[in-house]
Amino acid sequence: MSKNTNTEPKPLFPKTGQLIIEDSQDLLMCKPRLIPLKSYTLEKLEKMQQEVQRLQKEQSSSTASPQN
Amino acid sequence: MEPLYFALSCYRRRNFDKCVQVCTDILEKQPLDQAAWCLKMRALTKRIYIDDIESEEIVVGDALDDDTVASAPRPGTSMKLEAALTARPRTSTGRPITGINRPGTQMRPGTSIERLKTARPLTGQSVRAIRLGTAAMYSHRDGPFIQVSRLNLIKYGKDPCLSKPLFEYLFYHEGDVRNAMELAVQATQANRFEDWWWKVQLAKCYNALNLVRDGEQQLRSALRQHTHIETFIRLIRIYLRLDQPLSALEICKAGLTTFPNDVSISTEVARLYEGLGDVQLSVKHYRNIVIEDAMNTEAIACIGVYHFYSNQPEFALRHYRRILAMGVHSAELYNNLGLCCLYSQQLDLTMACFQRALDLAIDPLIKAEVWYNLSHVAIAAGDVELAIQCLSICLVMDSTHAPAFNNLAILQYKLGRTNLAKAYFNTAKNLQPSLFEPQKNLEYLQNRYLNTFE
Repeated sequence: MSKNTNTEPKPLFPKTGQLIIEDSQDLLMCKPRLIPLKSYTLEKLEKMQQEVQRLQKEQSSSTASPQN
Repeated sequence: MEPLYFALSCYRRRNFDKCVQVCTDILEKQPLDQAAWCLKMRALTKRIYIDDIESEEIVVGDALDDDTVASAPRPGTSMKLEAALTARPRTSTGRPITGINRPGTQMRPGTSIERLKTARPLTGQSVRAIRLGTAAMYSHRDGPFIQVSRLNLIKYGKDPCLSKPLFEYLFYHEGDVRNAMELAVQATQANRFEDWWWKVQLAKCYNALNLVRDGEQQLRSALRQHTHIETFIRLIRIYLRLDQPLSALEICKAGLTTFPNDVSISTEVARLYEGLGDVQLSVKHYRNIVIEDAMNTEAIACIGVYHFYSNQPEFALRHYRRILAMGVHSAELYNNLGLCCLYSQQLDLTMACFQRALDLAIDPLIKAEVWYNLSHVAIAAGDVELAIQCLSICLVMDSTHAPAFNNLAILQYKLGRTNLAKAYFNTAKNLQPSLFEPQKNLEYLQNRYLNTFE
């Protein structure tokens, strides 16, 4: 018993894993945003709408020009 | 060459404009030529045909249901409640980001009825369909091809060859649901209620007129006569409109027992689980879809998003690279590739991807998103000034970008401008109340302020 009292018990540290987790509050960033891809139908719809807009513009300009 | 044969050949080669032109010439010579009339109808329909199942805009729970008893749904039985996908950022309308934009999910702030709460009359017919209908009229300068009000619908309803093309012409090309429905009713009666196709068309009309329950009856009756994937999917959509995801799931299961591993029905299941907030199950179904159809962009993109937001950017990168290899070439894809490269430490490719994304982006909202993500690249590199510049450009493109305001506030706070930061946090909170970060950050600043005085 007397022998043991002289030697300090060694602290046991686990060799793997995190020892201390310091929980510090900080401001929260918003995450980066992946942009959803466009579905085939959506692309086709947009293409058709652009085409129609182009036609409408052509027609309105062709009807407007004779009056002028 | 015989003109009608030439027109048919044009139709088969999907040269619809030429086909319409040839048919018009034939009809000028012989106005009563039914074959040319029918072919012209079909060509005009095909020219503007879009998959109306996919393009339908479902506003959850917009049906006027008189049988509703409870004011709030039970947990897990409604799509309206905010799903618990906390790992993912949300769109400006409050839904979590998903892998692919469909017409039904693509709602911008201001178009969402949930946000506006106006007295706008609700119909199932999407605004797009109406717009396309009127736009199709625009392209004929000599007036419409068919005077719908002069049609004898009872006579055409009995004609098995003309009734179906005429219905499709009225429904898709003219966007005239009421007359299309009249024709469908006549044709159903003429077929002695034995043709499932007409029942599905009737359901389409009921759905467009927001008579959802009547549509459901027609579809169930059609399913009893003939099991068809389209009928199953339409029935699923009806339950989604009624905000009954569990009933929709039952229909999905019934559909999958009849058509095992069918991609369209599995896609519905996966979307449904995603809507309910059960990402694991949703991804499981998307994986099954990829096994069936290795080119399914939606499934691959959704799996990619799942991996990215569960801290596995390498896997996400692999999925997005697959989409790139399939030939998709868009700003959205390059932006996602850039982000995946950044977080999987492929730093040499990050900037190149974002450069491409910026080159390809036309829509200011997409540009804003790319600049927002570029600010994350700058933050990762420790360049606060560049990050602030990126966020400022993002806000020039889209002044309602709440996450950009939040991040800009944090950067300004780090630079010591506390009051400016607070103002930005408040702006972010007001722009998107569903965003929890600005709320938490404001609370944090308040606590800090109180602690310093104590």
